[in-house]
Amino acid sequence: MARFALTVNGRRHEVDAADPDMPLLWVLRDRLKLTGTKYGCGMGVCGACTVLKGREAVRSCQIPISAASGLRFTTIEGLSPDGSHPCQRAWLEEDVAQCGYCQPGMILEAVALLDGKPGPSDGDIDTAFSDHVCRCGTHQRLRRAVHRASEIRGAR
Amino acid sequence: MSATRRDFLRLGSLAGAALALRVPILAAPGKAGTRARFAPNQWLSIAPDGRVTLVVARSEMGQGVRTALAMILAEELEADWKGISIEQASPGPDYEDMNTGGSDSVISSWTPLRKAGAAAREMLIEAAARAWKVERQTCHAENGFVVHAGSGRRLSYGALVPVSSTLPVPTDPPLKDPKTFRLVGTPARRIDGPAIVSGKALYGLDTRVPEMLFAAIARCPVAGGKASGFDAASARKIAGVRGVFEIGNGVAVVADDTWAALSGRDALRVTWDEGKNASLSTEELWRRLDEAAARSGHVSRKEGDPAAALAAAPTRLTAVYRDAFQAHATVEPMNSIARVSAGACEIWTPTQNPQRVQKAAAKLLGVAPEKVTVHVTLIGGGFGRRLDADYATEAVEVARAAGRPVQVVWSRKDDFEHDRLHPAGRADLEAGLDASGRIVAWTQRFTTFHLSMFGAFDPNALDSPDVNPWGGYDNPYAIPNLRAEWTDVESPIHTGAWRAVFYPPNVFARECFLDEIAARSGRDPLALRRELLTGDFAFASRPVDRKALAAVLDLGAEKAGWGSPLPERAGRRSGRGIACNVYHGRTLVAQVAEVSVGAAGDVRVHRIVCAADCGLVVNPLGLEGQVDSGVAWGLSYALKGEITIRGGRVAETSYRDYPLLSVGEMPRVEVHTVAGGSRPSGFGEMPVPPVAPAVGNAIFAATGKRVRRVPIRPGDLKA
Repeated sequence: MARFALTVNGRRHEVDAADPDMPLLWVLRDRLKLTGTKYGCGMGVCGACTVLKGREAVRSCQIPISAASGLRFTTIEGLSPDGSHPCQRAWLEEDVAQCGYCQPGMILEAVALLDGKPGPSDGDIDTAFSDHVCRCGTHQRLRRAVHRASEIRGAR
Repeated sequence: MSATRRDFLRLGSLAGAALALRVPILAAPGKAGTRARFAPNQWLSIAPDGRVTLVVARSEMGQGVRTALAMILAEELEADWKGISIEQASPGPDYEDMNTGGSDSVISSWTPLRKAGAAAREMLIEAAARAWKVERQTCHAENGFVVHAGSGRRLSYGALVPVSSTLPVPTDPPLKDPKTFRLVGTPARRIDGPAIVSGKALYGLDTRVPEMLFAAIARCPVAGGKASGFDAASARKIAGVRGVFEIGNGVAVVADDTWAALSGRDALRVTWDEGKNASLSTEELWRRLDEAAARSGHVSRKEGDPAAALAAAPTRLTAVYRDAFQAHATVEPMNSIARVSAGACEIWTPTQNPQRVQKAAAKLLGVAPEKVTVHVTLIGGGFGRRLDADYATEAVEVARAAGRPVQVVWSRKDDFEHDRLHPAGRADLEAGLDASGRIVAWTQRFTTFHLSMFGAFDPNALDSPDVNPWGGYDNPYAIPNLRAEWTDVESPIHTGAWRAVFYPPNVFARECFLDEIAARSGRDPLALRRELLTGDFAFASRPVDRKALAAVLDLGAEKAGWGSPLPERAGRRSGRGIACNVYHGRTLVAQVAEVSVGAAGDVRVHRIVCAADCGLVVNPLGLEGQVDSGVAWGLSYALKGEITIRGGRVAETSYRDYPLLSVGEMPRVEVHTVAGGSRPSGFGEMPVPPVAPAVGNAIFAATGKRVRRVPIRPGDLKA
């Protein structure tokens, strides 16, 4: 059993894991009780498990705990204390969610996109979300929400 | 919960008789506590602090049912929408039908929920009138208060809880005039949106119960196969693995966390007896369909004499349209938690059909259904897959074996491998035209696999023979000689309901074949449809209002600019296509697709205009979301992945080999509804069926190539 230290949502955690390959996804969900990060495929294909590593959007199912050690992550629960992050506000204003299961990953992808490109084009959005799966078909509102989040950020 | 409400109901009736003797005091304003709630029926309760809880007995899976049903209740209750809480019902005597499918929730809940809200409202008004000692008629309810018009006095619903609880519940309360609706018909955002965007929304997979363990199950990848032996030594060595149990459908590894369960399952060595389907392939399945399609099917509708009319027609057209096996591919994989104790069981599951889960678990355990409590969680996508109970009953088996509450988790591969697939099907069409090009005869024969989700195949019985094939038997067009036929074939693989079920293949076939006839006879596809939508629709089982459908087509065509030039797209061929459908005699939909096709045969859909007559729209924002959703679903069906069977197994294991419409491929979607209607008619499945034929017809307009199979492949359309 090895011990790994990582910082999630500004809080340092020490996690004992027998398997150094245990993906960050399951550490977050089963050990740290942060179930806002979703399991969709476990293969880095669907984007549901997206979290921020620093400012970069990453697939938590593809990061073994051994590689997460010492790093800082933000999950949907840590994005804002009260749901007031520009992306969360935009998502509510555009009423994006249908089943909502893929949305935490989408929102964190949007955070990273806007961090690098404050005023993204539709093409930038399509590229950023090309590896995210939404079976409900929120695609159109998702694009609108990213633009709106960009406006909210700019207005702050 | 329901017992409490029933007690209130009984107490209320008894106390009502004694009301003249003693009127309870009003609750102090703002006083907290839920002990003495006002709960006149199973659908709502009001706490003394004024908090309104509305009970939703249908499953929320993204269609917005929690919001829509709450709006209906809150409308009649005159509740303050901002303070509403939602509670999910569990099966029990208070909730007769919780099945969530067939785009039926809003329709079937409309009157009961209005009455429930209105009954509570009338009681609250009565309570205030008594407290003020004024005439009942001088008081009205608004936004969580009862107001006395003459004096302007107001009492909050919370303050009225004690008195209201003593009043008899009216059985036939007056309902609001729809003209006075202030909530129904206005755009409302998802009621659980804030929970979703903050990660607080709990889906099945996020649910935790005390002492819970996690499990993954090795199931035979071939339907009908079973484990003939297994070696669990390696699995047991994985840290965190607590036990390995053989259950009915495979071998379960139970562990402290999901990762240990999945790793333990991977370490299992199971020998499978794959049974008689071990060499099954897509080709073999198609051979069975094609063989069955060569014979006559069950005739569900016959008008005139189609055989004679075809024989006499100077021009005859035939075509075969096909679709493919499809997966549900919900992003939340199947999962369930079960806790089994002596003679009882508790289940937490993302299900569309909790009563089926309850019955199936009761049967498995040999207990009465009321001994099984089913908690319906929020669902990460349903689309018909979660009408089955397989993934709940196996959790019951594992929990019973483990002696602890267990959450069974499906991997993505499990989810594809053990889906209840939309079966491939073929529609054989034939039409006869007279010398003037008028359609005088039409036959449509649909052949597909029985949906095993709904029970074993019976060669002597047909699935709902009088209403199948959907889209074929209820062909809306005025054709003097018409026949619809239906054959279902025993399915060796698991099959089930998949959004809009039999409509997508049959509407694809019907609407594209009509387009073929339009092209053959040199007619405009819209004008041809308009001509065929005249006169009375005589087929009674699912009435079609032809005039209304023509109006919907006109609306869609007008908004889409039907007949106007398309924008030039360099190196691409552009076209517009139209299609329409009536869903089970209820909701009428027309769609116009605007597509372009590149030299390599790649299809881009630029715009879909959707026109609909869906009666009274409860939540226009929800309706638009459902159109987006249906279009994305229909485009994945028309243009993206398919499921294939190799060696008896589903060959596709992830979204990599079963691609869905990506964000960048989503067209601009516009929604236009016909105003009016006194009741809702449903909208979950309705936007799906016209998508594929509208796209197919647009592709024909662009390229002159007729596609008769979905999903469409670029190779079909090379320049």
